[in-house]
Amino acid sequence: MTDPRLEAPLPTAARSALDPWPGELTWRPVSSRLVALELTRVAISTALMLAVCAVIWFFTSSGWALFAAVAVLVLTAVRGVVAVRAARSYGYAERERDLLVRHGRMVRHLSIVPYARMQYVDVVAGPLERGFGLATVQLHTAAAASDATIPGLDPAEAARLRDRLAALGEDAGEGL
Amino acid sequence: MTTPATPPEHPLPTTAPSPSPPEQPNPSARPDTFGPQPATGPGQPHPSQVIPRQRLHPLSPVLKSVRTLFLVVVAVSWRGVQNLGPDKYALVLLGLLALVLVYSAVAWRFSGYEVIGRELRIHEGVLFRRTRAVPLERLQAIEVVQPVLARPAGLAELKLDVAGAGKAEAPLAFLPLAEADALRTRLLALATRAPAAVAGTAPAEPAAAERPEEPDLYRVDNNDVVVSQFLTPPVMFTPLAVLYIVGQLVFNSEFGVFAVASMVTAVAGTIGAPLMRILNFWNFRIGRAPDERLRIRHGKLETRSQVVGPRRIQSLTVTWPLLWRGKGWLRVTLAVAGQSSVGADGQQSRAETDRLLPVATVDTARAIVPLALPGLDITALHLSPVPERARWLAPLRRRVLAAGLTEHAFATVDGLLTRQLTVVPYARIQSVRVTEGPWQRRLGLATVYVDVAGSTPAAAVHRPLAEAFTWADELTTRARAARAAAV
Repeated sequence: MTDPRLEAPLPTAARSALDPWPGELTWRPVSSRLVALELTRVAISTALMLAVCAVIWFFTSSGWALFAAVAVLVLTAVRGVVAVRAARSYGYAERERDLLVRHGRMVRHLSIVPYARMQYVDVVAGPLERGFGLATVQLHTAAAASDATIPGLDPAEAARLRDRLAALGEDAGEGL
Repeated sequence: MTTPATPPEHPLPTTAPSPSPPEQPNPSARPDTFGPQPATGPGQPHPSQVIPRQRLHPLSPVLKSVRTLFLVVVAVSWRGVQNLGPDKYALVLLGLLALVLVYSAVAWRFSGYEVIGRELRIHEGVLFRRTRAVPLERLQAIEVVQPVLARPAGLAELKLDVAGAGKAEAPLAFLPLAEADALRTRLLALATRAPAAVAGTAPAEPAAAERPEEPDLYRVDNNDVVVSQFLTPPVMFTPLAVLYIVGQLVFNSEFGVFAVASMVTAVAGTIGAPLMRILNFWNFRIGRAPDERLRIRHGKLETRSQVVGPRRIQSLTVTWPLLWRGKGWLRVTLAVAGQSSVGADGQQSRAETDRLLPVATVDTARAIVPLALPGLDITALHLSPVPERARWLAPLRRRVLAAGLTEHAFATVDGLLTRQLTVVPYARIQSVRVTEGPWQRRLGLATVYVDVAGSTPAAAVHRPLAEAFTWADELTTRARAARAAAV
């Protein structure tokens, strides 16, 4: 499941939202365990949907339940591929004055958030994330639309990033 | 539900007290407090730890879940008493109580706050654990609130207003009232040591009416307001709806009274909004306070007065509605951070208060807009159109779409029927985003979003990819320069 476009350096002409300034930035990838986490999430929801199908089949023995189960499996395959690609697409780069976050394969996103605009930093870890030893860092600005969320970080890396962001955010600016 | 509590025996200081004794913040090296084991031992205080980790009041989780608990109890009691019998019912309630107590104990163990270096950290959550780091410089105001439920226990909640946009994002609940007061004082003292953010300076001026009146710079003609509100789709379609009702009454004998009544209500509803706007924008006057701030007053039934500092204006939007084009009219709206409009009765209201000009001609707008954003001429913006190939994605809009980086601001134009020009001063840019959809990628296009506080982002749609990234880079650079110049 390796995507050559992410591993190999891009030719200078092929700029995209995943690598806007080739060579100028060192993008840090997120933990490879994020892929496992996303696949687990897909597996759990698939298991739930299959359980519903099984219950329906048990009580009605209708062929539709089996059909639905097959549909769920097909959907799972698609979602699995999408989840893996999405999880691998995450990357972030710390520049001198701003944080860059990129993600997405179908729709590619790049966010540039200046440290001076940061209101607060959240480190969130749900039960599943903690099971995989991962955490999510969210950067909030005064604009609701700002989108700088980095999932799949090592707790140590998340703490380091939070401390660095908080330290840099102190430098200047009023937030508004 | 929550009421700001200022009990007479605890007069809260409204201004920050004298600075606390100097401490040496050391932001570079900090203990890692994140992780599955939450509590850093109080035994190893870090040099940069200004306030060591404190737990919230043990009752906090109970108080937070009391509403859910109440609902569950009601749900169980519904038929529960008859079906289970009093013994079993009591057993179920006891079980619930035990569950809540266990949950509370666990939640209490994980929740807490501490100040490390220059930031406040709030830990919370049992399953979804969250650590929120709030830089003290970002604190705009701190409010001590005592919700009804917390009052009997003598507990209070600390609301930390970080965004300055009227939404307290980081509550600290619950603490004993005295401790909450002390912490508030302490945090304010820590926060005000940096000159950047002076806590509690949100310039809300409800006392505008008592001030000596300065001359109005501009006055919107009430006739124009009325005509402009009649030139809106709901009003324009009302005659058709009325004709329809009359037609039904005449030709359809089975048309019931209720149908007529509902239709009349619907018509009243549609006309209601424009009528409210006419009343709201009646006597619209723009004045200038001595300190360069704009004073906007309007309203027929409820007189509103609003003071807007130029530095609080986050973005400006000029809109040309389709039906106004014959008149050559437009309207100008502002997105203001921490906007609070106070009516004559001191009541906060939800009416539209973002207008700089409810209706105006281009010439008027050219004269008035620079008062809000100095140096901005809405007719002389150098914007570049989108490339020819964008027609595959926006066949009609392509002719309208334009965007550009002007001297002081980023500007975009969008909207085929209702044309809209959005201007964001560089100094007000919060963050910049570039997105590239699958179809855009095929055409080598991308969309640049500029995020601002208190309004939707300004979007430059379908820009050439290379230009989009150049712009993104340039925007962050210019935003930084503008911020540096403003401080």
